[in-house]
Amino acid sequence: MLKIRKPLASCRRTFRALLAVELLVLAVLVVTPFLLQDRLDLITLATNIMILSIFGISFDMCWGFSGIMSFGQALFFGVSGYVVALIGRDLNFSAIWGVLPLAMLTGLILAFVLAVFLLLGRKMPGAIFVALGTLTGSYAAERLVSGWQYVGAGNGLSSIKLLQLGSFEFVEGFEFYTLALLSLLIVYLVCRFIVRSQFGLVLAGMRENEERLAFLGYRVQVFKALTFSFAGMAAGLSGALYSYHQGFIGPGNMGPGLSTTAVLYCLLGGTGTLIGPVIGTAAIELLSYGLSDIDAIRQFWPVVLGLVLLLIVMFQPAGLLGLVVSNRERIGSFGASARHSAHG
Amino acid sequence: MNGTKDALKTLRRGFLSGAGALTAAGWIGGAASGWLLRPGWAHAAGPIKMGIATDITGAIAPSGNADWQVAQFTVEQINKEGGILGRPIELYLEDTASDPKIAVGNVRRLIQERRVDVVLGGITSAMRQAIKDPIVNRGRTLYIYPQLYEGQECTKNLFCTGPTPAQQCDKLIPYLIKTVGKKRFAMPSANYVWPQLLNKYARKVIEANGGEVVFEEYYPLDQPEYSATISKIKDGKVDCVFNTVIPPGLQPFMKQLFESGFQKNGGVLTCVYFDENTLNYLPAPEMEGLYSCLDYFQAVDDPFGKKLQEAYSKRFPGTKYLFTAGAAATGMYRGIKFYEVAVKETKGDLHRDAVAAAMDHAVIENGPGGGAAMVPGHMHCRMNMYTALCRINNEKPYYEVVDKADMVDPREC
Repeated sequence: MLKIRKPLASCRRTFRALLAVELLVLAVLVVTPFLLQDRLDLITLATNIMILSIFGISFDMCWGFSGIMSFGQALFFGVSGYVVALIGRDLNFSAIWGVLPLAMLTGLILAFVLAVFLLLGRKMPGAIFVALGTLTGSYAAERLVSGWQYVGAGNGLSSIKLLQLGSFEFVEGFEFYTLALLSLLIVYLVCRFIVRSQFGLVLAGMRENEERLAFLGYRVQVFKALTFSFAGMAAGLSGALYSYHQGFIGPGNMGPGLSTTAVLYCLLGGTGTLIGPVIGTAAIELLSYGLSDIDAIRQFWPVVLGLVLLLIVMFQPAGLLGLVVSNRERIGSFGASARHSAHG
Repeated sequence: MNGTKDALKTLRRGFLSGAGALTAAGWIGGAASGWLLRPGWAHAAGPIKMGIATDITGAIAPSGNADWQVAQFTVEQINKEGGILGRPIELYLEDTASDPKIAVGNVRRLIQERRVDVVLGGITSAMRQAIKDPIVNRGRTLYIYPQLYEGQECTKNLFCTGPTPAQQCDKLIPYLIKTVGKKRFAMPSANYVWPQLLNKYARKVIEANGGEVVFEEYYPLDQPEYSATISKIKDGKVDCVFNTVIPPGLQPFMKQLFESGFQKNGGVLTCVYFDENTLNYLPAPEMEGLYSCLDYFQAVDDPFGKKLQEAYSKRFPGTKYLFTAGAAATGMYRGIKFYEVAVKETKGDLHRDAVAAAMDHAVIENGPGGGAAMVPGHMHCRMNMYTALCRINNEKPYYEVVDKADMVDPREC
């Protein structure tokens, strides 16, 4: 039997802008530490951006790929950050092979528990219900932590034990940068694999028309719960890295403020692209860093940011990335690869 | 020093071009950050770099700006007299924005980008906790914390120049019990670490002096309603309220306490963070008869302090950011002067261990409210403490110093 591999002509002909952007970002991230060798402060900033990018991606998995409006991503971020900080303080343990998986597990379990309540109920929850539920979780956690003396109350936890690999201790700098880059790369590739797999196809269908997919027999809520838990895991990893990198974690790191920041990273960069949140995080963090010393603007920076986002939502819903990546490529890539494999 | 004694210039660096490059290229910028106060002359060994990390924006910006102005004022004075051993001090500012989350990032710029020799600043305990690690442990830099606080900060290379609970309570409470004659104390408090640890210490002093604590309660910082507290004060026959409720809960609490007639019936209110800034913060009748205890009041009869205030008002005419104790400004002044003394002793060696070793027993002769002396091995300093009573003249509140204690021990570490 002869089966000819016939990739779609359109797929081959179009310029793969998304891939190009991804490779470009990777290239920039790889060369950055070499260009910035004697600027520790900027390496620290770049490390921070990568750590927060993981956090941004975790929101993108929820909203951009499966239509869960999660306003509580910071909950998983913050709780994991606190967990590793407390383990360092009370058990004097911070070996990388133990704490990072533990942080991911914390995020995973927490997100799963929340998903059971919010998503797996008898009635199908609306987007607003989920948004408010996650927001409430995040807010409640922030209030709880700010009054709890054992975890430092309003002061948060500081002087966090440094992350260790054998006897090596990670402080800000090249090594931590490498660690953050590797973490980002792994999270990114896993997410990329998921959203381009058959599982991802279901997610895409769910996002476009949830009811129709349900009629086809998919248990939509289960898919959502799985994605949400996975995103919680990524946020947990990000929170732990943040905690070790900054040496500080406070109630503000698990509240609605940070949760909303994740939404901003994503909307600015472009939802449903994975690379969008990375670009959005970099744009927002670099701008904040650059503008923080210009008094006249610093005061208004949040307002400016808000206006920019409003304009983006109104006129450029695909975010910054939408300027170079067509909608067709953004959404259609699933279809193309799926058809591709069906033919192959 | 080559005689260019002209006033220092405050320069803004960076600006849009720098920031634009930074954002466009991602790694080129960096010239743009913070404020810089550059002296008018140079020295072969280069300037001494001093970093100030304080709250220029956000909820406690009034105190932060006072600290920044006092830092500028003090450094200008030192530079005008030839700097430290002929080397000028260059001053860098980073805004901690009343938000520890933002501060941990910004304070790193002082350490990693500016490579300052010492950092002074932080006002709230939350802020100190957040920034001490990037400064002292990871940043291997000397840190001086200027605010009155709850004590128990015993990190190596971290020096505290503000009053501790012992300094604020050891004289005030016996004065209230023995001289004013109050016995039954109530402790309404905001729920965070400073009131909790301060109350713990104050309770010991109250009980040791034959007083009694009727209740000790903690409220959310923004609680607007205190009728339950007020009735407890009435029912418990409390005659002295040791208050650590802070704004925004402070205004409703003070109003409700006053309206209950507590003061009219002979009750005494004491509030150890009240300084000249809080005088106009509340209606005068509510302030009348209030006791505070701090390391300095403008009413202190001391020629050096008076001269300092005059020079400060001349440098910042009509400023709303006062040189007071409650805003950590006096601690800031002392911190900079201690550092000056220490560097003189090391003969200009700016290495942290050398300066810290000299800081350990540094003494300053003069300051607002008098001199101060580090207690060797304890990282806190002895200083004069003043108990003041708020009085009203022509509907304007003012403090009258009623008691003074010389060189009170901090009893920390």
